[in-house]
Amino acid sequence: MSRSRRIRAEAIAAWHSFLRRKTAVFFTFFFPVILVVIFGALVRTQPTEGGLFAEPAAYYIPGYLATVVLFTPLSRVGSEIARHRDDNRFEKLATTPLSRTEWLVAHTLVNTVIIGLASLLIFGLVLLLTDATVPVSAELAMLVPFVVLAVVLFCGFGALLGRLADSQDGVIAASNTIALPLLFLSDTFITLEQLPGWFGPLVELSPLTYFARGVRALTYEPAAGEPYLGNLLVLGGLAAVFLVAGAYAIPRTD
Amino acid sequence: MNKAVVATGLRKTYAETVALDGVGLTVAEGEVFGLIGPNGAGKTTLIRALTGTTPLEGEISIFGCEPTAVDSDRVGLLPQSFSPPARLTARELIEYYGGLYETARPTDDILEDVGLTAAADSWYETLSGGQQRRVCVGTALVNDPDLLFLDEPTTGIDPAGRRSLWELLESLSAGGTTVVLTSHSMAEVQRLSDRVGLLESGQLVAVGTPAELIAAHGGDSRLEIATEANETAATALTEAGFAVRTTPSRIIVDGVSPVEIGHAVEVLSTAGIAYDSLQWTEPSLEDVYLQLTGERFREPLRAASSAAGEETDSLEQTLAVGGDQ
Repeated sequence: MSRSRRIRAEAIAAWHSFLRRKTAVFFTFFFPVILVVIFGALVRTQPTEGGLFAEPAAYYIPGYLATVVLFTPLSRVGSEIARHRDDNRFEKLATTPLSRTEWLVAHTLVNTVIIGLASLLIFGLVLLLTDATVPVSAELAMLVPFVVLAVVLFCGFGALLGRLADSQDGVIAASNTIALPLLFLSDTFITLEQLPGWFGPLVELSPLTYFARGVRALTYEPAAGEPYLGNLLVLGGLAAVFLVAGAYAIPRTD
Repeated sequence: MNKAVVATGLRKTYAETVALDGVGLTVAEGEVFGLIGPNGAGKTTLIRALTGTTPLEGEISIFGCEPTAVDSDRVGLLPQSFSPPARLTARELIEYYGGLYETARPTDDILEDVGLTAAADSWYETLSGGQQRRVCVGTALVNDPDLLFLDEPTTGIDPAGRRSLWELLESLSAGGTTVVLTSHSMAEVQRLSDRVGLLESGQLVAVGTPAELIAAHGGDSRLEIATEANETAATALTEAGFAVRTTPSRIIVDGVSPVEIGHAVEVLSTAGIAYDSLQWTEPSLEDVYLQLTGERFREPLRAASSAAGEETDSLEQTLAVGGDQ
């Protein structure tokens, strides 16, 4: 009971803090929207030609979702940790019953809600602005655990970044540097065939790859029927590891 | 009396800098212990050590437990340079920190204690600096702690707000709360503290009640006279048996007790000396502070005097006079 009370208090404070930063709210949702508009509606996919965006529109749904699942928690949790450290909030929290794991869980919950809403927005825009079609079945609901686990994973990753970077600027720079290659080299926007053969094993090392493949199996007709549970399990395992590592990385003072 | 805080042999270094060097400290339950010292003396490091938020050498017991193992419901902390989320209201911040404990004091009571009832629904970032600090103090009170650590609690608070906060801390102390506070306001520490420790370069160089420290290190009470007839007045007072020093703007008569003030005034009157003001001053904790930390300020000047070929002793004497003012 008291654990849920503490997580609730931290999450409510984080939620209100986020909602009251209007530019943060705007750009959190505007960033994925503009990506879908540029690449999905303006550039458009060219299924018969080679190069980038040569697959049908629905192929890229995992990539669009990955933009919020990856970038948002990395930068938000990392920045929040830097902000907490600058303002001596962790020093204060260290003397309260709130544990570091509870802190991270609370902020992960907030990010899950934000990213869940952004994902719904992206999903709707892709269907609305592109000619993507998504196979509708009960299995589509499995998108939820994929998004949730990916958010957990990257919130943990963001906590590690927040610990390593010495400022909010540093967190943003580091998260962009890490997220951009991950976004494009995780079987999201660029197919494995477009990459050199030797690069294939490296794609398997990216946690985002398992998110992309699992989501694609659920949302892309040609990939329908491919097993997604294996990807979900890998993603779940990595999420647990990153959550624990992230919680451990959260600083107390020094 | 039971001990709330027992610390022995505390040592902490940051690279080449020694922040704490063998500090030992005991604070009894219900006691208010004030920590004073120059910037960088180690006060904040000591508070962090006692709250278990920085690792260091030495042993610390808080209510018989290690700092990280003590029941957090019993401890409250206001860190130095602490800023809570800026876009929460004062009320939301108190509720937020209260929500981290199993039981918390009513939010309205806390707001009233820190004098923020009227500003309760304003965002933290829109409050004045003093109001912000009072919110921060409020966040340390939400769990009704038995032991309260306050690192410069009144920084930025106006005189009226400071006095109301002093009254709050006095009422908490009267209710049995143990308080460890740091401050650069000697008046604050002198008024609130049962005992005071002075940290200098990571070492606790003096500990005692304010009265004990003042008696040992504060020097004499003094009478300061502002007059245009400095030399005449000094001569008259010296001839009357007073110990007199002069500065360009006034005469300082050392060791004047309250009953001797009338005699000094009579001497001036008899000599026909007019004066603009008389001010009798008791030695205070500030005098103790300046006396015990004065070496720090003398050293650069001594070096400067050597370079200039001047007499070191006369410079030190001049500074000692300046320090007393």
